[in-house]
Amino acid sequence: MLVLRLWNYMRGYVIIRVQGLTLERFINICMARDIYLWDVKRIDNTTLETKISIEGFKDLKKIVRKIDCKVSIFEKHGYPFWIHRLKKRKMLLLGAFFCFLLLVFVSTFIFSIEIAGNENVEKAEIISKLNNLGFKPGANRCFINLRKLENQLLLEIDQLAWVGVEIKGIKAKVEVAEKILPPNKIDKDIPCNVVAQKNGVIEKVITKSGHAVVKEGDIVKKGDILISGIIQLEHIGNSIPVHSYGDVYAKTYYEAMGEKNLTEIKEKKTGQKFVKKILNLGNVELSFNRGKIPYEFYIVEKRSKKLLQWRKIGLPVELIIEEYYEVNKIEITVNEVEAKNHVHKEALDSILEEIPFEAEILNTQIDFTVKDGVLYGKVIIEALENIAVQKTLQIGED
Amino acid sequence: MWENGGIKKGLAEILELPKDIILDLPKIIMIGNLQIYIENHKGILEYTDNRIRINTKNGTLRIIGKNLMLKNIVAEEIFIVGEINQVEFID
Repeated sequence: MLVLRLWNYMRGYVIIRVQGLTLERFINICMARDIYLWDVKRIDNTTLETKISIEGFKDLKKIVRKIDCKVSIFEKHGYPFWIHRLKKRKMLLLGAFFCFLLLVFVSTFIFSIEIAGNENVEKAEIISKLNNLGFKPGANRCFINLRKLENQLLLEIDQLAWVGVEIKGIKAKVEVAEKILPPNKIDKDIPCNVVAQKNGVIEKVITKSGHAVVKEGDIVKKGDILISGIIQLEHIGNSIPVHSYGDVYAKTYYEAMGEKNLTEIKEKKTGQKFVKKILNLGNVELSFNRGKIPYEFYIVEKRSKKLLQWRKIGLPVELIIEEYYEVNKIEITVNEVEAKNHVHKEALDSILEEIPFEAEILNTQIDFTVKDGVLYGKVIIEALENIAVQKTLQIGED
Repeated sequence: MWENGGIKKGLAEILELPKDIILDLPKIIMIGNLQIYIENHKGILEYTDNRIRINTKNGTLRIIGKNLMLKNIVAEEIFIVGEINQVEFID
């Protein structure tokens, strides 16, 4: 009967109290005159409480005179009364309207800027560039041409390949993609040194230009000069800078650690279950079941049901059902061979990314140690690779 | 046998017509002891918290209960809610 109640609310009704001795007669006359009464309640011997529509109440006046009854309004309900009250307070309505306008106006301003996708370019740099272009917290979005801003930012910062600016409400999201710059080639007539890219033991030096300062068996650190670009000319007693280049092969070592517990704790479900239901309305979470999870150890499984979902658009109403399964913890001793394999694989996986593709792997070695029930594995890979990299010579540095 | 009610009653039986219409009798529907719905009544005689008397064609209908409330009342029908204990016709 919700529809009926809503209908009554929209039309407006009053709760009246009728006092008199012939209340049955009052009801009968109302019925005869088609005055609709509902929720009739007897308060005491001489009093009756009933709901009646506004029109019905107006018609009541004639009846009241006829029979000896006293009618008084107890409560007023419904939309017409509400409107009537509002009409008296026009300023309140005006205030609400302006409040709404203000809210709409204020929400056109940008409140915060979020930057995503930058790796090498500093966030502060992007923000300061954006600020210079007039895009900052407090700026009105109506006056900003996003496409133009994107292009300008691309021109300002060279490292960026793409910029996407998106405004969602009061939040601006700037997404950038950086260019992958090619390795900087040094021009042939610029003097330079050849330096070590990595630590290693020199195996072979092939100097094509310049003066080799290392020989086979030398241990070099990252940044050490391998082939000098400064050639001393003994008979002149002067030095001239040249563009040195060459290949320097060295043994490099890569190290990685892996570990695994030899006793593993496995969780086994006992069959006990505790269900928690959460209603998610936008950002508000309403939990139906209060109280703590009655288990010490448990596994959570989450399921969510969305209402009226069509592709990605839907009502922001979501029912999350969390099922907590009670578990027992069981200690299991892991097979050592399996554990070693696992550790080995883990260590190798972490190391292989570091080794360049061209490097030749000479030797791999793995040491296992067991300490406090944990298996540690140390993998050392010996590789042969070209560690030479050119670096511009600063004239006047030496 | 041939008095006024008898002919109508016989006619209603032969033609299988609903008796509440032909004989102008009340139609009473009860839902458990919670609700009672009376169609075709002839007005209220008494209404208190625990007793309601309603006039009908074939006598007075008396309803006894607790916290009785007239949920809905129009010329043709009365809808009573509350805890109903007794429903009886008294002449």
